[in-house]
Amino acid sequence: MTARTKRSIIFWAVLSPLLITILLPYAVMVTTAVKPREEIFAAEVTWFGSEIRWENFVEMWVENNYGSAIYSSLYVSIGSTLLTLLIAIPASYALSRFQFRGKGVYRQFLLITQMISPIVLIVGLFRVLVTLNLVNNLNGLIISNSAFSLAFAIWMLQSYFSTIPIEVEEASWIDGATRFQSLKKIFLPLAVPSLVVTSVFTFINSWNEFLLSMTLLVTESKYPLPLKISIMAQGMYNLEWHHVMAATFLATIPVAIVFAWLQNHLVRGLSLGAVK
Amino acid sequence: MRTYLRNPAFWLILPSLLLPLLIIAYPIFDVFRASTHYVTRLGMIKGFIGLENFIDLFQDPIFIESLIRTIWWTIFVVGGTQLIAIPVALILSEDFWGRGVVRVIIMLPWAMSLAMSAIVWKWTFNGQFGMLNYLLENFGILDKPFVWLALAENAFMIEIFVGIIVSIPFTVTILLGGLSSIPRDIYEAAEVDGATGLQRFTRLTLPLLKPFINIALVLNIIYVFNSFPIIWVMTRGGPNNGTHILITYIYQRAFEFGKIGQGAAGSVVMLIILLTFSIVYLTIMREKKS
Repeated sequence: MTARTKRSIIFWAVLSPLLITILLPYAVMVTTAVKPREEIFAAEVTWFGSEIRWENFVEMWVENNYGSAIYSSLYVSIGSTLLTLLIAIPASYALSRFQFRGKGVYRQFLLITQMISPIVLIVGLFRVLVTLNLVNNLNGLIISNSAFSLAFAIWMLQSYFSTIPIEVEEASWIDGATRFQSLKKIFLPLAVPSLVVTSVFTFINSWNEFLLSMTLLVTESKYPLPLKISIMAQGMYNLEWHHVMAATFLATIPVAIVFAWLQNHLVRGLSLGAVK
Repeated sequence: MRTYLRNPAFWLILPSLLLPLLIIAYPIFDVFRASTHYVTRLGMIKGFIGLENFIDLFQDPIFIESLIRTIWWTIFVVGGTQLIAIPVALILSEDFWGRGVVRVIIMLPWAMSLAMSAIVWKWTFNGQFGMLNYLLENFGILDKPFVWLALAENAFMIEIFVGIIVSIPFTVTILLGGLSSIPRDIYEAAEVDGATGLQRFTRLTLPLLKPFINIALVLNIIYVFNSFPIIWVMTRGGPNNGTHILITYIYQRAFEFGKIGQGAAGSVVMLIILLTFSIVYLTIMREKKS
């Protein structure tokens, strides 16, 4: 047995309790989602139902107006991602390319916004959005989500922007391009990897956001997925767990796949941003 | 000022100042103001009432219990996360068969909304039909189903457990980033000098990893202290108000009982705790540097 094989066996053995614990809810979610209803609430519970009932998904979708929740989630998440990028790109560019007075203070300011979570401000935030007439409005969520994800986006982008040598831009200035042209044609294409990671991260954060939508939205047809599903899972009686799990499954799996695909980039970007 | 306005950097960062000022800074000010006023259900500020909201809060035994429980919650979740995440990150930074798969699995809880994680765990822990009871009975660990969430003490421990599971991915990510920044050649040098495996760990890895452990610790303390969805979704602070932490208590006061002024006062208490924590942390860091 080689050293690597031996090491692999030991590591898998040590990690297995944790891996099983993490996978357990996923297994429960998947099996419940496709079980026939009567077998979920049977006296004898089993892992797998007698059949795989895909109709659960269709029933769930129709009964709960699931499409509107997906629409809200997509609208808010795409909107928040675009707004965050729109504000974070120029700011990160300034941080990595310009000297200006108060740069240190500005960084501190961003750090502080990162330390405060929406929840401690919820009363004040609610009142601000009432004033702006943005309560029960998905755009209100976009603005709030963006404000809270900005600092992180700027961290990530800035640490990557700084690694792009200034010479590539200087070359295009000599060729007569304006600063904005070279930013658009030369700089941003080079920065695409960091833009992708930052977008995905911002997108997932607002896809998963719960508290703000719960506080700011009133009309149920506007509820995004986490809020919608938590409403479905409320109440003591007649809880359709197979529907709840089917809904959770649909809301989670696409995100989990993207996340699994990008997690390596995340490790790099996050730790660069955290310490610098 | 005029030179400032001519500096393009100013215009580039301006939007990133304005948005947080509107959505974060102003609400901080507003929370302080609302905490000393009578606020209607719909959020209208009426008369100034001094510290009455605070007095009401501190006279409520549930508030005091929630305050104490918040401290336990933060200590156990952050402590547990850190204890698990450090060895996991160390293992994941080694080369072994199937590392990619393990990495993806460990990161999985991060991809799920906290609210949805809490829902799935709540179902898994369901006393009557939950899969956990089924598994434990099958393995002969339990002889009859256990109603996990019926007692506040048990429910709170389960919430701590869920809190730890969902905090691990972020923490491991930061630590892995830290480990990957340690240059490999210093280990080779240490090996040449005859350092044992343990020595390399305590003299090299641990000190070099320490800034990352610290940053993960600080961020986790802030996140967990403010963490709302797990407790809200699993037990709503119940049964018998026995699982409330500050934030769930405040939310319930403000938005379910309509006492928005008291909610604001509670937020002020939380902000002061967070601020004190940040100042203590920054002071320690500064002393260490000098």
